[in-house]
Amino acid sequence: MRRIVILFSICFGLAVLSARAAHTQVQLLLSAETAKPGETIWAGVDMKMEPGWHTYWKNPGDAGMATKIEWQLPPGLSAGEIQWPLPEKLPPAEVTTYGYEDEVVLIVPLTLETNLPASPLNLAAKVSWLECKESCIPASTDVQTTLNIGGESKMSDEAATIELWKSKTPQTGQFTGRAWWEKSADGDTRPLIIGNELTEAARNTKYDSVDFFPGASDQFEIQAATEIISADSADLRLRKLVKKFSGDWPKEISGVLVVQNGGLRLGVEVNLPVADKAPAGKTISTQTPSENSPGVTPAPPSQPLWRMLIFAFIGGLILNIMPCVLPVIALKILGFVSEARSKPRRVRGLGLVYAFGVLVSFLALAAIVIGVKAAGHRAGWGMQFGSPVFIVCLTTLVMLVALNLFGVFEVTLGGRALDTAGELASRHGVSGAFFNGVLATVLATPCTAPFLSAALGFAFAQGTSVILLIFLTVGLGLSAPYIILSWNPSRLKFLPKPGVWMEKFKIAMGFPMLATVVWLVNVAASSYGKNVLWLGIFLVVVALAAWIFGEFVQRGRTRQKAAALVALILLVGGYAFALEKELDWRTALPEKNTPGSLKESTDGIDWQTWSPEAVARARAAGKLVLVDFTADWCLTCQVNKKTSLEISSVRAKLKELNAVAFIGDYTRTPADIFDELQRFGRPSVPLVLVFPKDPAAPAIILPEILTPGLVFDALNRAAK
Amino acid sequence: MKTALTLFAAMAFAAAALAVEIGKPAPDFTGTDIYGKTVKLSDYKGKIVVIESYNSDCPFCKNHYRTGAMQELQHDLAAQNVVWLIVDSVNTKNFSYRTPEQARKELADQKITATAWIDDHAGTVGHLYDMKTTPHMFVIAPDGTLVYDGAIDNRPQPFGDPRTAKNYVRQAVAELLAGKPVEVSQTKPYGCAVHYAY
Repeated sequence: MRRIVILFSICFGLAVLSARAAHTQVQLLLSAETAKPGETIWAGVDMKMEPGWHTYWKNPGDAGMATKIEWQLPPGLSAGEIQWPLPEKLPPAEVTTYGYEDEVVLIVPLTLETNLPASPLNLAAKVSWLECKESCIPASTDVQTTLNIGGESKMSDEAATIELWKSKTPQTGQFTGRAWWEKSADGDTRPLIIGNELTEAARNTKYDSVDFFPGASDQFEIQAATEIISADSADLRLRKLVKKFSGDWPKEISGVLVVQNGGLRLGVEVNLPVADKAPAGKTISTQTPSENSPGVTPAPPSQPLWRMLIFAFIGGLILNIMPCVLPVIALKILGFVSEARSKPRRVRGLGLVYAFGVLVSFLALAAIVIGVKAAGHRAGWGMQFGSPVFIVCLTTLVMLVALNLFGVFEVTLGGRALDTAGELASRHGVSGAFFNGVLATVLATPCTAPFLSAALGFAFAQGTSVILLIFLTVGLGLSAPYIILSWNPSRLKFLPKPGVWMEKFKIAMGFPMLATVVWLVNVAASSYGKNVLWLGIFLVVVALAAWIFGEFVQRGRTRQKAAALVALILLVGGYAFALEKELDWRTALPEKNTPGSLKESTDGIDWQTWSPEAVARARAAGKLVLVDFTADWCLTCQVNKKTSLEISSVRAKLKELNAVAFIGDYTRTPADIFDELQRFGRPSVPLVLVFPKDPAAPAIILPEILTPGLVFDALNRAAK
Repeated sequence: MKTALTLFAAMAFAAAALAVEIGKPAPDFTGTDIYGKTVKLSDYKGKIVVIESYNSDCPFCKNHYRTGAMQELQHDLAAQNVVWLIVDSVNTKNFSYRTPEQARKELADQKITATAWIDDHAGTVGHLYDMKTTPHMFVIAPDGTLVYDGAIDNRPQPFGDPRTAKNYVRQAVAELLAGKPVEVSQTKPYGCAVHYAY
């Protein structure tokens, strides 16, 4: 007997213990105390969680389990589907779940048949749920309550609570949305865009945050991370990654669109067919930034053309002092010095020829861009620097310019070396000015300047005529200072008289050109790796050939033909051996995308390799994110990094904010970074973005030229 | 020189391809088991490998072990020369973390017959395989390709008898052994979130 008592008390104790083990209290509420037959009333399953504990939504997300209600209802009563109040997205980012903390009331409609007799009814349900904090516990409980059936309906005391929670369930029918696949699948994941229809009524509301909570499916999973492309109510667009488990790609998706404005959080049920491609009129806008993206983008895409033309002109003007074009300035100064004392008409002419050279080059660039676009490929500013062949040619050319300045050889046209000196000089002057114009343009392309990127970003999304117009305007801007200076040569009086010093100055100016060669070789290294050595050897061979040509062919008295032959053999041999055989110059190494840290020094910023997914993950984890899109050939980017990013104060700030820093390497112009640049309206790198801690807030776009103050300011704003 | 470069490029490429994808090579990893022994996935090449993301405090896992269904599966597969690796990615601060000593006791108490129990408290293997839940299961073919990634069965419940469910791991292994293609290669894993270290 005693044993039985002990056993019984142990069992009872365990039962009490297990009841206590639940961290959620459940209660059954009804909207009515008395209801009439034929009515529909609301039941509420009120779940109160202890602090830190949560229960799950109908789609629990990556883990967890949805709460279940099994009704035990008397005949004549039937329960409908659970109406779930809007859940929260629960961390951590790697395993995002949807659920409720503190309290939730699950709403269920109860329908009473018309022939119910008037008497009190007992309503019962078994509620089972999974509650989690640091660990998870499955729990279940039986709840019950009484409902009176009578001729007059009477609200209960709990009706207000039920009404409150009912208002938190998603609305239906207010959203005419669209969903489409952004592109084809990459393995078993595929990006999906969810957007809304343009309604005049909804125009010009800018949501603080937008999200999409998907319904559950066995066949596929719409992943938790959301990328907001536009939070403008008139043109809402979100990007979600869909992972497929089995079967075909879904033809339809359902879930809840969640918008937040101030303290107001609204959910709207959506059920959308998935189109194979973007609806008409949405493609272009996908590639331009949201009209409301804050920050310092000088030119949202809706800007009028005239303003873009002004930007293009100012941008071209500023290009003159960007690091890429600086070496060419040396050449131009020299040109002015040697011509300053000539007839004004001639100086003007040379200024115009230079401008003509620039404009022709820009025209050629525009033609290439239009051609590439017409062929359905991606066209961007500086894209030719992604081609190793182009870099090798340019490196060789710039080195020859340097050697020419050093006086190793002369440039003569058409072999007419022995014309009258005057004629030669004039020819030299004219062709030189034209060539300078071309060189200035070619070297300018890896740089973007303030204003310029806004104008070009605009141009790349436009039609043929606008592209031409903007490119020519940039060219005008680039050449304007020289046209103006040469127009009135009296302004050039400050320059010293031509003389022997010019020869020395010319040689001195060869060195910035050499510096450019070194930089270009460094750019080539990203395509060839260590093999870039063979490019160096090729350059030396070319230099030797140039010297033989200058010394023994141009200035030599005897055996000029033999010398020319030697120079030719050197060139051909150097090309065949160094470039073709050893360097294999037309094929670059495959891109290295080694994941992990790209830290440059032990105390440097812990850069990670950029990918849209990595950014989405970091943002979903509530981290502040810094992204630096850069390229080896982008001098502005290198300067930005040295002056304003990889500096001790920014490093400390990033650490303090626990921020994640990503580098997107555009050196080889990969398509995904190209798309991202387009999305922010930039024709090329640099593009530095700061994503605020709030995962729903749009990115802060930093200007092309950074200062530590600008970076700090953006980081502080983003940390709020 | 050139071959070295090509090799280097190929390695870089292989590193870039590190991601779990059905039909692709399962990423290699090295871990330490609860006896301090080093476990390397590629050492098991030539055998079928099952990976189980484990936390016995999770009610879903617990149910599989409490009912003996998981041990039964481990036992049956071991008899067919299948390697079973338990990966425990619970962080050291979590209540469900097991010190190697506790883990060795649990292994014995629960009669677990896994090839190894990898102490992954830093989450390295868990993150590499993008393990979401406990239990999240993986099956790797003898040639090293990943053939299954997902739930253990089609019964996402923390109670009841798992033997009544369709067990995807058992099925995938049977199909591999029969030389047939794996019919269900991907499902949504269910269970508790993996308690990773942050």
